[in-house]
Amino acid sequence: MALEDYREDMAACVRCSSCKWVPFNQMRSARFSHNCPSIDRYNFHCYSGSGRMNMGLSMLEGRSRLNERVSEVIYACQLCGACDLACKTYREVIELTEVLLELRADCVERGEMPLEHMAAIDALKRENNMLGEPRAERGAWAEGLGLKDVNRERAEVIIHAGCRYSYDRELWPALRGAVRLLQKAGVDLGVAHAEEGCCGGRAYELGYRGEALNFAEDLASRVKASGASVLLTACSDGFAAFRWLYPRMGVRLDARPLHLVQMLDELVRQGRIRLSRRLDLVATWHDPCHLGRMGEPWMPEWPGDKRQRLRCWTRTGRRGVYEEPRRLLRSVPGLKLREMERIREWSWCCGAGGGVIDAFPDFAGWTARERLEEALATGAEALVTACPWCERLFRDTAREHRLDLRIHDLSEVILASSGEEVEGLC
Amino acid sequence: MLSDEAFRDLVEAVGEENATREPAMLDSYAWQPFLNMSGELWVRRPGAVVLPASTGEVQAVVRACNRHRLTFKALSTGWGAHNGPTREDVVVLDLRRMNRILEIDEKNMFAVVQPYVCGGELQAEAWKLGLNTHIVGAGPHCSPLAGATSMHGCGNDSIHMSTSSRNLLGVEWVLPDGEVLRVGSPGSGAGWFCGDGPGPSLRGIIRGTSGAFGGFGVFTAAALKLYHWPGPAVIEGKGLILDSTCALPDCCRLYQCAFPSEKACDDAVYRIGEAEIGYLFVRMVASEFLLLLLPHLFQKLVGKGRKLLELINRALPHPFMITLVADTPEELAWQERVLRDITDSLGGVALNMGDVEAVRRLMGSNLLRCTVFATVFRNGNLFATNLDGNEATDSQYAWTHAMQGPKEEYIRRGGLLDDGGENPYIVQYENNLYGHCETIYFYDHRRPEHLETLEELAFDTTLAAIEQCNVPLAAFEPVTRKLMSPLACRFNEWQKRISAAFDPAGVSDTGYYTDERDPDWERIPAHKVERLRRLQERFGS
Repeated sequence: MALEDYREDMAACVRCSSCKWVPFNQMRSARFSHNCPSIDRYNFHCYSGSGRMNMGLSMLEGRSRLNERVSEVIYACQLCGACDLACKTYREVIELTEVLLELRADCVERGEMPLEHMAAIDALKRENNMLGEPRAERGAWAEGLGLKDVNRERAEVIIHAGCRYSYDRELWPALRGAVRLLQKAGVDLGVAHAEEGCCGGRAYELGYRGEALNFAEDLASRVKASGASVLLTACSDGFAAFRWLYPRMGVRLDARPLHLVQMLDELVRQGRIRLSRRLDLVATWHDPCHLGRMGEPWMPEWPGDKRQRLRCWTRTGRRGVYEEPRRLLRSVPGLKLREMERIREWSWCCGAGGGVIDAFPDFAGWTARERLEEALATGAEALVTACPWCERLFRDTAREHRLDLRIHDLSEVILASSGEEVEGLC
Repeated sequence: MLSDEAFRDLVEAVGEENATREPAMLDSYAWQPFLNMSGELWVRRPGAVVLPASTGEVQAVVRACNRHRLTFKALSTGWGAHNGPTREDVVVLDLRRMNRILEIDEKNMFAVVQPYVCGGELQAEAWKLGLNTHIVGAGPHCSPLAGATSMHGCGNDSIHMSTSSRNLLGVEWVLPDGEVLRVGSPGSGAGWFCGDGPGPSLRGIIRGTSGAFGGFGVFTAAALKLYHWPGPAVIEGKGLILDSTCALPDCCRLYQCAFPSEKACDDAVYRIGEAEIGYLFVRMVASEFLLLLLPHLFQKLVGKGRKLLELINRALPHPFMITLVADTPEELAWQERVLRDITDSLGGVALNMGDVEAVRRLMGSNLLRCTVFATVFRNGNLFATNLDGNEATDSQYAWTHAMQGPKEEYIRRGGLLDDGGENPYIVQYENNLYGHCETIYFYDHRRPEHLETLEELAFDTTLAAIEQCNVPLAAFEPVTRKLMSPLACRFNEWQKRISAAFDPAGVSDTGYYTDERDPDWERIPAHKVERLRRLQERFGS
């Protein structure tokens, strides 16, 4: 696809600005009524979903040209999908996220992309991860857990740790704890250790489609060779890549992609994990974009023209993962779940996505701070989530601003409630 | 191209991060398909866009424009071609950073808001205090300040909360020369509760009937009336629009009424006004709801002819939908009895739609927050409206019929989508003595054959309006104004004088306020030009 293929989508925009707010039926206050970090931070219309489409059309029609400043506008966006969802509440003919992705691919093709992203992609090609960490250390997180090595033996479930969990030592206890829980529940688990590579999802978001495809094909072939029937990940970015991006790129996965949250929920419901310890905790749940609205299963391209499209053929965020984490939290004795205003399909992004954490770290922190303020407004003591990128940014931001809010991975909460010792929870 | 010196002054006024003249960024202010009756999709590209954060910054920008003789125009969300620049190198003030509700005076029932507060936000805050705000039919994403100061602004709540113009109290206004004028009680430091005095009221000057569409200085704060709301602070439920489960609260009842004749329907509307009941009200035919909610099915049906749609509409002839709201169950029961008495006495029916669970859920906050009408885009991607003037309730049907003629002609020619017949949007206000009627034209602006239609369609509907002795609100559009002006005492010449008195340097962009533009006369058929000539001979000044 090319930008030209989305001309009709861009031209369909009538500039109503609905893409800047949470869906109006769910608007509960003026304070938390906005949905798009980018327009909220930078304010010019071109920083909204609508404005980016207007710019794209302008360039396509030769009215204006791509340059460094325009590229900056295109990339100062987490690709969180909130604008798309807001637009889709009453429009079916605009695939807004696709346009945003296409604009980035166009930037890469024309050589107008952020230097920070070029560095990240170089690191990805060199070390197989987005963080530029040594590829040989990728499997270190799993040492001592007794996980099967899927390069040599067959396992029912292959765990994809993802780049962030693999190298972020502060987050290791959550993932390692989750693995122990699954093992206790009798799940047959394996991991690729140092052979695991990036899912390619972030590269795709940055506009580097060739690299994304390479990594996707590599991962898919490894999964196929392993013979696993489930591809399990605790990384929401990876989950969205497996569920949506791979089929979109035509990469077939021979295993069912599952997020850890889904598997934990299933095991708790089956009684294979028992939540018996009381946790006197007031917590709020942050829906990661890539687990929620961006974590929908892929649906094929609408076969009709772009004049009218059936709703069931559009990406509306509705089929993301929302109930499972909430059900899990409500299953924890003593835990009080206090919802924020912007939740589910209309959740506010953590700030890290779309390469913003690399190219615009201040903007990422600004976005996270906004979310933490919203969490604090609920009276919660802890914000719980299930994405390592969200967690990392939230932890850093809470520390930087000395906010009285703990950040927990959902698996830590489940682990603690199942009787294990977890720092800050027991 | 804006000079470097002028741009430097703008940057000094708002800070470097808040000013741009990058062409691609500016073009996001130039894409304006909606209500662009010229058949264009882009309006003029601004010379620069600035983002002031305060009244002081607005003043600094306006003064810079005066110094450099630059035209300026302010906008809030900026939806529609009338928000776009109409001259070269216009400095656009995007008021997005002025987005705070400054005050809600619960006791005196008003809110003071900045320009970028949207209707949905104000309503969400008002509900928490048992209050409500008027939301225009265009939807909750529109700015109530912009509606109240610069446009007409009806909605389905107008039966209870009137129009935007009626809700305007105190105003803070940066005049076109950069001075600040506080209109009404805030001018005397007496609070925001009143829009008039001391001395003659300036509200008529500021906005008149339909406002200056951003062409008359910058309104930086305004007090707006709030109304009683006995419902919950939040209507709980999941879903967005079509999957909404945010049901109507218990204090509300939704009725669909239908009548054997237009006269009976009009009489019912008047009597409802006399009885002072009704919180939300809209006249739309049954097939319009089908069009909004199931556009794909609608297009299939209409593709096979209009018979089925006519049958659907015949089942509920001359209808309206009314929502009753009350403090107590007893009061609600009384209002329901009044409504039934009225409908019964006129041979009509009043169906309690709350009995239909799907409707109760779908129409809950969708009606109260006015979100459901946004689905109008689903049929053809875009619509135009004749934006009727505001006339006596009796005249609404006549207006609808008059507008249908030109519409049918364009549907036959393939210049508009077939919407199955008369699909008016009518709301009431002033105790239902007055109504606002819009005839909606569905089209897809991405189709050249539709786009080509628009200017001639605007010409035709203007002619029809004149022949009906009606004044279309679309007179804000420069071509319509050109046609209307000689027939209506050259109203815009008076507006130009008012504008000049406040704007000696002529720096406000008056394109949608007072200017005229010739249509492409060569594209207008001779017999239509002749019709206009005859009207001008008869009524012209």
